[in-house]
Amino acid sequence: MPNIIMYTLSTCPWCRKTKNFFKQHGVPFQFIDYDLADEATQERIMAELDAHGANGFPFVRIGETVIMGYNPGRYQELLGL
Amino acid sequence: MQGGLIVATTEWIPVMDDASLPEGGMQSAYPRGLNVVIARVDGTVYAVSGACAHMGCPLFTGSLAAGILTCPCHDWRFDVRTGEFLDAPEVRLTVYPVRSENGKLFINLG
Amino acid sequence: MTVETRKQTLHYFFAKVVDRLGYKFTPDEDLRDFLLEQEVLLEQKHGIPFCPCQPITRERAHNMTLVCPCIPFHRAHYDAMKRCWCGLFVHKDVTDPDSLPQIPASEVKRG
Repeated sequence: MPNIIMYTLSTCPWCRKTKNFFKQHGVPFQFIDYDLADEATQERIMAELDAHGANGFPFVRIGETVIMGYNPGRYQELLGL
Repeated sequence: MQGGLIVATTEWIPVMDDASLPEGGMQSAYPRGLNVVIARVDGTVYAVSGACAHMGCPLFTGSLAAGILTCPCHDWRFDVRTGEFLDAPEVRLTVYPVRSENGKLFINLG
Repeated sequence: MTVETRKQTLHYFFAKVVDRLGYKFTPDEDLRDFLLEQEVLLEQKHGIPFCPCQPITRERAHNMTLVCPCIPFHRAHYDAMKRCWCGLFVHKDVTDPDSLPQIPASEVKRG
């Protein structure tokens, strides 16, 4: 199983859907809620979003692949579900 | 008079002394109780709705530069000559005709 | 002012703006209710009803492009999706908002 890390917002319903998708499929993941993070973490996340041209959350990294926006079909595809 | 505020009129309503509005300046006025911003740009006087088309913020507390009025609340920018919101011209402030006569500025609420 | 009252106030202001832009509130009532509530809570925290799905930074110019409704500042992107990023607003002809995916700005060709 590839390493999964996601950047999310506590206020964003699509971020909640994303977390629920992985929970429902029993896939372990790490996440950071950008809005609840400290300033240094926020700056690091923004730099990563900017590097990928991402405008918003959720931002999911499955292994080396980045998926921007809620995209359950792509999550399934990458995880072979 | 019964009922609410009546603003539909073809009457020219005096709002301020012409000389009190400097070039590049703006002032608020309340003809018939309506919130209006009056601005002088390149020698011409314009009048637009004084409430931002976004969330109704008072535009006269914003800033005016080269005919562009910036709302103090969320920086929405409007051209006082046309009323257009610069980032989406479909959204606009109401523009009112203005004329100067005998040293006074008059506005027509239409 | 209660959260519920402020939600109604934001709805009133935003409906007028997005109508002129060719958008409407999403017909998904649960989503609409949730997003408006988040915006009220963000407004209570920051003084401004920001988009609940995009990152507020320390740069005012950037943040002002995320004030709801933020459609004017992301028009080509949102028009391509037929919705705004958080999904609070959809094009007027949309009846099934669930069919509209989030497409990152970087994947949308600028028109």
